[in-house]
Amino acid sequence: MNRQRIIVDTDPGVDDAAAILMALASPELEVLGISVVGGNVPLQATLANACKILALAGRPEVPVFAGAPGPLVRQQVFGKYAAIGAFSDTLLPPTDLRPADEHAVDFIIRSARAAIAEPITICAIGPLTNIALALVQHPDVAKGIARIVAMGGAFTALGHRTPWAEFNVYADPHAAEIVHGSGIEVVAMPLDVTFQALFTAEHIAGFRNTGGAVGRALADLLTTYDRSDIARFGRPGGPIHDAMTIAWLLQPELFKGRPAAIGVQVTGKTAGYSYADYHGKTERAARATIIESVDEAGFIALLSQRLSRYGQAAPRAGG
Amino acid sequence: MDLMTTLPIIIDTDPGIDDSIALLTAFVSPELDILGITPVCGNQPLASTLRNALQICELGGRSDVPVHAGCFRPLLREPIHGQFHGTTGLGNTVLPDPVKTAEATSAVAFIIASCEAAAASGRKITICSLGPLTNLAVALRMKPAITEGIEKLVMMGGAYREAGNRSMTSEFNVLADPHAAHIVFSSGIPIVALALDATHQVILTPDHVSQFAAVSGRISEPLSQLMAFWDRNDVKRYGSRGGPLHDPLVIAYLLAPELFQTQPARVFVEHESELCMGQTIADWHGKSGLAPNAEIVVKVDAPAVIALFLERLSRYDAKVTA
Repeated sequence: MNRQRIIVDTDPGVDDAAAILMALASPELEVLGISVVGGNVPLQATLANACKILALAGRPEVPVFAGAPGPLVRQQVFGKYAAIGAFSDTLLPPTDLRPADEHAVDFIIRSARAAIAEPITICAIGPLTNIALALVQHPDVAKGIARIVAMGGAFTALGHRTPWAEFNVYADPHAAEIVHGSGIEVVAMPLDVTFQALFTAEHIAGFRNTGGAVGRALADLLTTYDRSDIARFGRPGGPIHDAMTIAWLLQPELFKGRPAAIGVQVTGKTAGYSYADYHGKTERAARATIIESVDEAGFIALLSQRLSRYGQAAPRAGG
Repeated sequence: MDLMTTLPIIIDTDPGIDDSIALLTAFVSPELDILGITPVCGNQPLASTLRNALQICELGGRSDVPVHAGCFRPLLREPIHGQFHGTTGLGNTVLPDPVKTAEATSAVAFIIASCEAAAASGRKITICSLGPLTNLAVALRMKPAITEGIEKLVMMGGAYREAGNRSMTSEFNVLADPHAAHIVFSSGIPIVALALDATHQVILTPDHVSQFAAVSGRISEPLSQLMAFWDRNDVKRYGSRGGPLHDPLVIAYLLAPELFQTQPARVFVEHESELCMGQTIADWHGKSGLAPNAEIVVKVDAPAVIALFLERLSRYDAKVTA
């Protein structure tokens, strides 16, 4: 199998955990490393969480890199669930795993520049600070990145973190603008689509029953930090935003999207607002595909199936 | 001189004619321990500023100084380049193709590693910025703790009581990457700011150029070519023929700070308004309620500074290196 080589740039985070665990259980993907950024919670907590997730998955050989602790220009804001901080040892067992010495930004630069002949994919599921800091340092960085599959933004599903912005873009709008202006192909998973797949208590019980220790731990996380919101979604269940980026890599046919240019408002009261230019009204070329819909049942089945591999006697985790 | 008495510096630069004069002066100043030179996109695209830095190292007989390639573009703004440096960045001056090459380590990685080592050893580094602040800003955002290894930043950039030189409000280096400047001025690093307010006090006149040509020995021809190209020929603006000696003032400040009067202020960098993009605003009178983050040079002893440069550059007559 010709495996896709990916870097997961992340700020774990409960749904980041689901995404990372899904990627590590997918032999189609070779996870080159986990680059961690400050975001949902401060960097020290996102780093500790990333290490715990790899230990839980039994994948200590996948390197974790510490990245930027805060955004480029704006004052730092944390996620809605910032109170989580580092996952407790009750929820996720402690580990001796520690980040590598290399900086996440240097890791991204090194990996991309070495991959110009066969560019890599970045799954970006936190604020885009690390990627932006890599892109300005050498023109070859963009050449070594085939695409960025990014969870972030909101076009019609507004009013999550603020009335105008989704958290990952709001947390570092300048970084998002740098990425969207870089010319790199972006597959954007905005809230518009991540809200379409809701995981109910029943689905989460499925993770617990079939996913071994990993499934139990993720079920505990998803239960402790319940994402359901009947008032918003009109039905039970909550989204697992970040895992959709991994699902797109595995089964893009589950998703429908449209080409557009994405721009990000970096100033003023509505900083963090992302806008889609579907009709070539701006100077920017349409380098993004904005995902607009997902096969909900297909996505839930895919995530459930991948997590169930952790419950099998000899888990066929991707290496 | 030994490590205890020399000043460890990194020169972050975008050569550039006036950058080149600054470098050539630093090269013959044994008080300065030049840890490295970090070219950045600015007066010219990075490929040119890097090549020019390598050529100037060789011209000055300082191939020993490591040169690390920096960021190839500003953080957010589209690159702008200088208007007074000719097509190569060195005016009409033609120097041999450089034999020296850039180090494998990038400028940002070099700045981070140097500052971390400095924080550990206690021998803190003075960063000399002669161009847009992109390299330092990226380093600060990657590793904010590097401030512990930085003694201070002495920078050429900004315009306070003086009007801008690239736009109505803004000086080139800050306008080229206002977000980077904002990051640096927000970082808590002690800053000495040599803005247009200072550099417009030191005009390199044609008479000066003749004097420099007469004393500078083996670099006389390229140096006088660089300096002659620098003449703005704008008496109305500058009060005489010649051009402002922007970047070399950073080196002069390191060598003879007593020639510069400063005034503390809190500095803010406009990075939101298109009209005033890159404007540097000084809170001279405590209106912001925030502590000063910079010492802004308000008065320069121009004749003494010119004399200092004459003395330094005359060292090329006697010997090759410092």
